[in-house]
This record gives sequence, structure tokens and C-alpha cells, in this order.
Amino acid sequence: MEGQDEPEVQGSTLTRRDLLRRGTAGAFAVSMFGGLADKAMGFAGPLKYKNKHLKGDLHILQWAHFVPDYDKWFDGVWTKQWGQKNDVNVTVDHINLALLFSTASSEVAAQSGHDLFQFLSPPSSFQKQVLPLNDIVQEVTNKLGPQTDVGYRSTYNPKTKKYFGFADNYVPDPIHYRRSLWFNAGIAPNTWDHVRQAAAKLKAAGHPIGLGMSNELDSNMFLNSLLYCYGASLQDANGNPAINSKGTIEALKVMADIFKNGETDEVFAWTAASNNQGFLAGRLALVVNAISIARTAEGLGNTALSDDTWLAPIPRGPAARLGNEHVMGVYVIWKFGKNPDAAKKFVIDQQLAYAQHFANSKYYNFPAWTGAIKGGFKTIHRLAAQDKHKPLGKYTTLTTIAEKYTTNVGHPGFANAAIDEIFSTFLVPQMFAQVAQGKMSPQDAARSAQGQFKTIFAKWKAQGLL
Amino acid sequence: MKKLSTYAVVAPFAIVLAFPFYWMLVTMFKTNLDQSNIQNNPYVYNPVRWEFWRSATTSHVAFVFNDTNYPTWLANTVIVGAVVVGITLLVALPAGYALARLSGGWGQSVGVGIFLVYLIPPTLLFLPLSRIVTKLHMKDTLWSLILVYPSFTIPFATWLLMGFFKTIPQELEDAALVDGCSRLRALWRIVFPISLPGILTVVIFAFSLCVNEFIYAFTFISSSTHRTVSAGIPNDLIVGDVFHWQSIMAATLIPSIPLALLYNSFLDRFIKGFTGGAFR
Repeated sequence: MEGQDEPEVQGSTLTRRDLLRRGTAGAFAVSMFGGLADKAMGFAGPLKYKNKHLKGDLHILQWAHFVPDYDKWFDGVWTKQWGQKNDVNVTVDHINLALLFSTASSEVAAQSGHDLFQFLSPPSSFQKQVLPLNDIVQEVTNKLGPQTDVGYRSTYNPKTKKYFGFADNYVPDPIHYRRSLWFNAGIAPNTWDHVRQAAAKLKAAGHPIGLGMSNELDSNMFLNSLLYCYGASLQDANGNPAINSKGTIEALKVMADIFKNGETDEVFAWTAASNNQGFLAGRLALVVNAISIARTAEGLGNTALSDDTWLAPIPRGPAARLGNEHVMGVYVIWKFGKNPDAAKKFVIDQQLAYAQHFANSKYYNFPAWTGAIKGGFKTIHRLAAQDKHKPLGKYTTLTTIAEKYTTNVGHPGFANAAIDEIFSTFLVPQMFAQVAQGKMSPQDAARSAQGQFKTIFAKWKAQGLL
Repeated sequence: MKKLSTYAVVAPFAIVLAFPFYWMLVTMFKTNLDQSNIQNNPYVYNPVRWEFWRSATTSHVAFVFNDTNYPTWLANTVIVGAVVVGITLLVALPAGYALARLSGGWGQSVGVGIFLVYLIPPTLLFLPLSRIVTKLHMKDTLWSLILVYPSFTIPFATWLLMGFFKTIPQELEDAALVDGCSRLRALWRIVFPISLPGILTVVIFAFSLCVNEFIYAFTFISSSTHRTVSAGIPNDLIVGDVFHWQSIMAATLIPSIPLALLYNSFLDRFIKGFTGGAFR
């Protein structure tokens, strides 16, 4: 005990002269090198954003999440705690996902709006209006390891070498299918050929296929995925329009066939909610959608339906088993935003703590940096396996989909401005609909789309973004 | 017999027009299971029984009032509607009168010109107007709507009132002027009381537009607590790609009831107001 007390005795011998000497030396050191302190700690993070530096307001706009409890937690717990910790007053506005682009356009027109704006698809066409975010992407990568490829290709412009957005999360896009109906049809939806074969039987049984060809998000995502499965894509890896291909023609033929034998005309007039409603009403046999359908079925208490709702990766095509994410959560910081420092710190901290967001979104939001969840996909798989809804373990397939079968809009290239315009003007669903309705042959539709794409790509190339 | 045939003609129309209200009323009290099962009869509560309330639930209505900002949206809608109606009357009454009485030959052309302004679609105007709203620091406040809504209520109201004022005989005003009234007094004591159907039409029309308008209400207001009913319902009761049908039906039916009562209370005057200038 004596030995332990010794240092205290020594400490008490500090004389007034010693104190003055040390104090002077300390003051000199601070005056000379103090300014370097925050630079030295910049990569480490915490001291880069001192509370004093971040005071003010932070206005965030994002979609009204399909899991209402996630928004409650996000607004009431996460942002409040972050705000208190960083001396920032955070307010969050939620809007319907269909209105994100019109709201963004309005904010850009007014050159005024939110400090942080979250899109659900890569907003490449707004590149000139946003701050490059290379610094924070680098900072998060230093801490969590490499970003997912889907996040990287959705937010990086190789031409300007800038990140125009911060990939926050992505949502795997499984198929939902009624297991009993497919069992009765004697086929499992493992390949697009299986879907094609079962379509007529299922429709005859009063349960058509639910694959949309309308001007809406779900149709857009799914039809792009179908192209990948047949070896087709909107552009090549170098960012040149490439829709006029054998793969596209084959995909158009397959979709027209599925429609003719296994769908009804309503798929041409669907909204993003239509496949949800059709499936939840017990009518549709198969849809491609995020897990909002399965979760809603559970929430409705309709166990007959929810137990019979199985999830699986997108069916395999002759070229690949690959699909787009269902939504890609991308934050942008407008050039006219009033608090960019707080906005940057917020998205960094959010990504570092994404395990909480994954859990609160009921496994809907997957982090753009898999390393945000300790243990990566293994942990995600383990968490998903703990879900108690029947069939037990059905959500584990999300891990496989996220890890192996998910790519970005614009695959095999980047989600550039031309792809954004093609996506937001729904040219792909229109191309498929023309063929399915018999208004154009697959060859003519692909050729016509190629012409439209060339014009769009040329426009964005002229603006220096491609 | 004549009465019977009148009812026979009117009844089908009444049923068709009342049907959406019935649908909303039934849906708002449906349970989730009842609502989502395609085998169920959508016009009644399932399982069907005499004590039908046992198959229904008030939880979705309670959700609208307790878990959303719906009461605030209703209050905001009434505030915006009332102020816009006031501004519209303040401007459109003298403008309509001036164009009808004082402008001479070019009044008609100006009236038509003003009406054409009303026809410019809001989708074209919301981008430039959002700049103005921002410059005036009115974004995300009810003032933005109070500023913008008169831009389409005033042209229509002016055009409507202009036609209505033309139906009032000039001699009535001349008599008042001869008796010593000033023009303002003649307006107040003679013209406006006679024009009550037209004024009521403007009130109802302007208020209805404020309740129904979506684009400006959505674009200029971003926080839920500042929204009006038309923007709040589609924004907060549709989450992601999931529609909360029962709550949506409850939230839309509630404000439509007083509006429907208001229309019906003044139906005769409303028709007079719209047709008042038709024969001049």
C-alpha cells in the first residue's frame, strides 16, 4: 500500500517555481503548435468537429420510411441525441418518396432548402448543385473499410473524380412469392424460364404474376434487373449507350410472354404501391419488391398470407442472377445549404452507427459500408436469422442478395447523369410496355430506345458530366 | 306522379354521387384483416353480423388524431382558407365592379385577360414562385400559401363578379347617386347586398381551392406541423409504398363533410352566382 501511495506524495512536492516553469512551457507550446492540433486529429475524427464549430441548425429532408417506427426513432431518438452531443438543432422533414425529385427541383430553383437531402436513387443529374463529398467518403472508408460497390458506383463520377452524394444505405430487392401457389403449379421461381412456364398456370388459378411495366420506381428497378439477367444493360462499362443488344431483345420477348400468359393490363398503370396492394390482397403470385410487403403482411396479422410469403433472390437469367437495389439512400449537401459542416458530421456519425439503423428499420436499410456492422455480412445474417416470423429464417436471404446479387442503377458502369435522366423519365418501362402491348417489335423497341439514349448521353457529355 | 318521376330521375344520380362518401365511411372503420382480404365484401364489415360494430374498429380514426398532426393540418387549412377568402374579396370586389361599370369598352377584354391568367397551370408557376417565396423568407410558413393562393383565386373571382355586377341594373345605382349617396356608399348599401349570391360563390370557391390545392401546399411547406390537409394526408399517411387506407379515408372524409354541408346550405345562391352573368 505504501508503494501505491508514493506517487501522490511526490506530486504534492510540486513547488510554485516548478508550476510556473511548466505553465510557461505549456503556454508556449500551445501558442506555437495549438493550431495544428485539429489538423493532426483530423483523420481521427472527434476533434475535427468541436461542438463550438457545429452550432446552428441542421435541416434534413428524407422519405417517409415504410417502417413508421424507424422514423419515430430517427426523429425522436437518433437525431435528438446527435443534436445534443454536437450542439446542433436538428429538424427532420419526411415526404412521400414519389415527391422527392419535384421537391429537390423546387429547392434548386429557389436556391434554398434543406442542409441534407436524401434521395432514393442516385441523383446524378443534380451534380452541379451539390458539394463534392470526397473528404467524408474518405474519412468513413478509413474507419470502416471499403465502401460497397453499389454505394461507390451510385455516388462517384469518374469523369469529375468527385463524389456527388454520400451513399447512406441500400435496400435489397428480393422476390416475394406465395409458396403454396407455386407448389401447386409444380415449379419454383428459380429462373426466369420457370416464371415464364408457371405464369399461365398461376393466372388460370386466379393468381397472376405481378411484374409492373409502368412509370414508377418498382417497375423501373425490376425491368433494369431483368435486362442484367439477360446480359443487357442501359450502358456499357465505359458509359456508352448499349441498350440495342441481343440481351435486350431477349428480355423484351420474355417479359412480353410473361405478360401475355400470366398478367393483366393493370400492370401498365401501376404505382409503386400497386404490387404491394395486389400481393397483400392475396391476389398476386409473385412480385419483386423490398421487404415492405412481407413486413406489412406480418403487421396486418394475416398469418395465413405472411406464413405463405417466401422471399428469394431474383430469378436467374441465361447471363446472370443480378438485380438493382430496391432503393439507394443517397444524401446530398446543396451548395446553397447553410450548415455543410454539421451535415457532413451527421452523415459520418450515422454511417458509423449504422447497426442501430439496420435494426430499427427491421433489416430494411443495409449500410453502404458493410463494415458499419461489426462482423459484416456474417453478423447481418445472424441478426436476420433471429427474426421470429414464419417461415423461420426467411430474411436471411437478404444477406445473400445484398452480398452477391445486388448492383447499382447503371450497371456495369456508374450511375451517371444520363442514367439518372433515363431512369427518372421511365424510358425502360415504356420500352417494355410498347413490346408487351404489341405496339412495337422487340427489335424496333431496342433500336428506338438506343436513339433516345444517344441523345441523352450526348447532352450530358456536352455538360462535362460524362 | 310528377314528384315521383322527379325522384326517379334524381335518385340514381344521388346514389352514384353519395357512393364515394359511403365507401369512405365504411373503409375508415375496417380492420386490417377485413380491409386486406380480397374475398371479403368491401361494402360491409366482415365477418358480416347484425351487430356490425363488432366487426369494425375505431383505431385508424384514433391513429389519425393521436399519432399524426391531423388536427393541426385542419386548423392550418381553416386559417389559410379564411385569410385567402378575405384577401380575394378585398381585391376582387372592387376590381370586378370597376371592370363591369367604369372601364368602358376595354373592360370586357381586360376581364377575359384576367381570366386567362387563372388558366396558367400551377406546375409551370411553382418554380418561379418558389424563388419569390424564398426571397421573402416565407418558405415553410403558412404565409407562403396566403401569398400565393390569391394569385389564382383573385382572377377567377374578379371575372365571376364582373359578370355578376353586369346583371345589376345601372338605374339602381344612379337612383342612389341622385339621392345623395357617394359611389362607395351606393356600392355598400345597394350593389353588394344584391350581389350576395355572387359573393357567396366566391367565398365557397376560394375556400374549396385552398382546401384542395396540393402543389404549392406541398412544395412551399416542408414541415409536417405547417402543412394543410391536402398535403399532409398524402405525405404522412402514405409511408414508403404502403397506403394506410383506413386512416386516409377518415382524414379525407372529415373535412369533406362541412364543405358538403356548406355547399348544400347555399346551393340556390351558389347556382345564381355562377349563372348570374350568363345572359349579359
